[in-house]
Parts: sequence; structure tokens; C-alpha cells
Amino acid sequence: MVISIKPESLEQKKIFLVFSQPATIRQKNIEIIKTLSSLGFHTVVVTTNFPYSVLKKLYEQNGVSLEHVTFIDTITKYSMGSVQDIPGIVRYVNNPANLTDMGIAITEILKELSGKKVCILYDSISTMLVYLSSSNISKFIHFVTTRLRLMDISGIFLAVEKGLDPQLLSQITTFVDEIIDD
Amino acid sequence: MMNGKNETGTEGCIDEAIFDNAHIMMVVMDKNGTISMWNRAAETMTGYGKAEVIGSAEIWKNVYPDPGYRHEVTHRIKEILAKRDYFENFETSIITKAGDTRVIAWNTREMKEGGNVRIVSVGVDITKQHEAERKVRDMNSFNEGIIENAHILISVLDQKGNVLIWNRAAEDITGYSRNDVVGKNTVWKSMYPDPAYRKEITKKITSIISSQMYFENLETTIVTKIGEQRIIAWNTREIGNGIWQHEIAIGRDITDQRKAERALVSYISEIAMRLKNPVEILRDNLAELARMTRNGTLTFDEIAVTLDGQVRSTAQVAANVAEFQKAVAEKNEEIPEAYRKFLSG
Repeated sequence: MVISIKPESLEQKKIFLVFSQPATIRQKNIEIIKTLSSLGFHTVVVTTNFPYSVLKKLYEQNGVSLEHVTFIDTITKYSMGSVQDIPGIVRYVNNPANLTDMGIAITEILKELSGKKVCILYDSISTMLVYLSSSNISKFIHFVTTRLRLMDISGIFLAVEKGLDPQLLSQITTFVDEIIDD
Repeated sequence: MMNGKNETGTEGCIDEAIFDNAHIMMVVMDKNGTISMWNRAAETMTGYGKAEVIGSAEIWKNVYPDPGYRHEVTHRIKEILAKRDYFENFETSIITKAGDTRVIAWNTREMKEGGNVRIVSVGVDITKQHEAERKVRDMNSFNEGIIENAHILISVLDQKGNVLIWNRAAEDITGYSRNDVVGKNTVWKSMYPDPAYRKEITKKITSIISSQMYFENLETTIVTKIGEQRIIAWNTREIGNGIWQHEIAIGRDITDQRKAERALVSYISEIAMRLKNPVEILRDNLAELARMTRNGTLTFDEIAVTLDGQVRSTAQVAANVAEFQKAVAEKNEEIPEAYRKFLSG
């Protein structure tokens, strides 16, 4: 699987919306991280699908170097209650619908990584729709993209192909620089 | 020609046969209303025979039984005859012997013969004509009432687009009063202030009219006097009689309908987004989990945490479905009660 995000676009700190088939969205996630790592980016993965512990193993199995990845895990605490953050590696948010804590976590991790080439990978808008209305997601993406631009950081939002209605899609389209639909 | 009174009451120079067989009521009387001649048509119209009326003025009390009305008629006749010796088409309502009301148009002339003054009155029964006119008036009034009270915008335009009729709904929907628009064609510019949109609409209307002379459900967005946007579905027809030609434009305000439709589409779309795609992702998550479990990659705790996450997501999807069902039941009153309870449950 080849990801058609151009390295020069990443260097320009662009923000992307990447569509994928449901069955291949995890593979796309892995390919994106590999691409980012190869370009010297540190990736902040916001996961709303799999817990950090599982995702870590999945990445390792697929040859992703974890030293260039930090996780924001919105699943583990939601499933099993209390769990401790591991500085620089994973930060837990109590549930995928808590956009305030998620926003704080993103902001703080980006500050911790200041000076590095960072890209945030948001996996995925489609899963977020389980917990949040499209209008709240739109507001949250607007918040995140604004912050990314202020901090001059690149970002990638993953979504299932044909999974966003025209209204949400048109809103998100105005927040991102490129849409990639492989 | 006959001179002097005879048995039918004709006298002087009036031809008896013409007088008696005329299809219009003919009466000769003196200044006090005492009847000297009363033809057959007068008998037919009033129901009173010659024998009952000749030599007396009592007939007027019979045909005008209401003293007030009788006084009014008498006063008006005297008033006219004081100025000239005739009147034409003076309409009164008489009551016949059978009690029916008939409308008579009187043409009367004073005739002087020697020292005698005779009044010759010719009465035409215009009851049917009067009734027809009343019906036309009623129908016009009824039509005006319908136009005025219709809950749809109705406007009639001349060929230059000048507004001739602008009903109450038109005032309510657009905010422009009759005084603002009638006799002018400027309201269209006010309602379509964007020149590009106005041009587009004009082009569309011109194109439709040139091919079929009318249009149906043409939707345009107008701007009201207070600056609100309203969506109007227009239907037009040409009306005319060969001499004049007007355009009747009927506009239905479908703003709320469109708003509701958009809301419904948006709602259904939102639900589709929040059900179908997440379920596909959950399915693939579980498939991935099964694969990793078989490979022995995951610990017992990792499997449990992952499954818990998927269970919670599934529970949230179920909650979203329930919320959707409840909203559908609440929004659609036409859904039978039993089904509404089921959907809300």
C-alpha cells in the first residue's frame, strides 16, 4: 500500500484528510506512520479504536519504530478505569467523547515535542462519530487544525471512505489543505 | 287611436292594442298617482288586475307596502319631475300580489293635454338582470374574498410587470404593502436585490414562458422588506379576453417546508454516519483482534481491554439507534401509537 502524501506537502506543514476503506484503515494508519518516520517526523497518534497496548504491538509487528511515536489513548481508561500515563510515550484520556481533555492532551504533548518535526495522526473521524455529533466533531477539528497551524505542525485525519456526509465533509474540507482518497 | 275612456282603461291618443299587448308594463296616471290606464303586462308583473287599480292610487301602497320605502320612492320621483318632465331607468323594487319582489326600471314622462297633466310610465321587469348582476357582484366579491384571504401569495400583473393585485398573503410574506407595489413593477427588483440572481431568474422565466406560456413550481429565493430570505414556489397563468392580457402569479411560501426537508435529510445523514460506518469499523476491529488473539500476540488483559472498548462502542451505537428511534417517533405524529411506543421504548 502506497500513501500518496507528498513529502514536500508534509514539509510545508500541511493538514490532510485521508480516506480509506474500513478494512484497510489500520494498514493505512501503519503506512502513514512509516512514511512519517522515514521523513524524520515524530507522530502523535490519537487513537479512538484500539488501546495503546494493542496498537503498540500491531506497530511493532509491522516494523514501525516506536521511538518516534507518542500515543493519546482514548480507549483504555474508558474500558478499564484507572491507568497511568507514561511520559513521552502515552497519555490517556478518560473517553473518546471528552474533547476538552483530548484538546488539552494534544496541546500539552505538542508543547513537549516543540522543536521537533511533528505530525499528528488522528484515527479516526469515523470512530469519533460513535460518540459525538458531527457538529461537535467539526468544532473539534477546527480547534485542532487552528492549533496545528499556530504551532506550525502538520496533521492527518483518517476517515472511512464515503463515511462523511456532504455537510461535514464540506466543513472539514475548509479546515484541511489536501484531501487524499486512494 | 282611441279617445275617451273605454272598458280597458285606455284613453286619449294611446293605441289600445299596442298599449294592452305590450310586453312591458305601461301605466298612465295623474299627478296624485291615480291610475287611469294599466296594461296586461302590468297585470302579469304585479298580479293586480285592471279592476283593482284603475281609478285609485291605492296600488302604490300595495306594491310599496313599506311606508318608508314608498316615501323614498315618491320623494325621489317628485324631485326628478320638479326639474324635468321625464326620468329614465329609475329602478324600484315592487312587491307583487303574490308577495314576490320584482325590480322594475321605470321610464316616465309627463304629458300635458289641455289643462290635464298625465304621467305615462313604462316599467321593464329587470328582476332577472338585477339578480344576474347581483350574482356577478357576489361572485366578484367571493373571488376577491378568496384572493384576499388565501394563504398563498396572489398577484396579478400587466404585460409590463406592473402589479395590479397584491393580496394580504403577499403583504405578509414579502412585507411589502399594496401601497408599496400596486401600479408599479419595482417590487421585483426589491425582492431580488442581487443583480446576478435577478438576471438568472429573469432568464429562466423568459425561457419557460417562451416555450409554454406558464410555469409551475418554479422556486426562487426572495428577500423580504425586512431582509429575510424566503423560498417561494411560483405558478403562473396568463389570463385575458383578447383585449387585455394579464399574468396571474401564485406563490407558495415553502421556506419552512424546505427547512424541514433539509433538517430531515441532515438528520438521516447524521444517523447514517453515526451507525453504518462505525459498525463497519467495530467489525474490522473485532476481526483484527481475533487475528491477533490467534497469533498469540496479545495478553489476556490486552484482549479483555480491547473487547471492553468494542463493547462500550457497541453500547454507544445501540444508544444512538435508540435516540434516533425516539426522535423519529417524537417528530412524526402520524406514526401509530403502538409503533411510537415501540420506537420510543
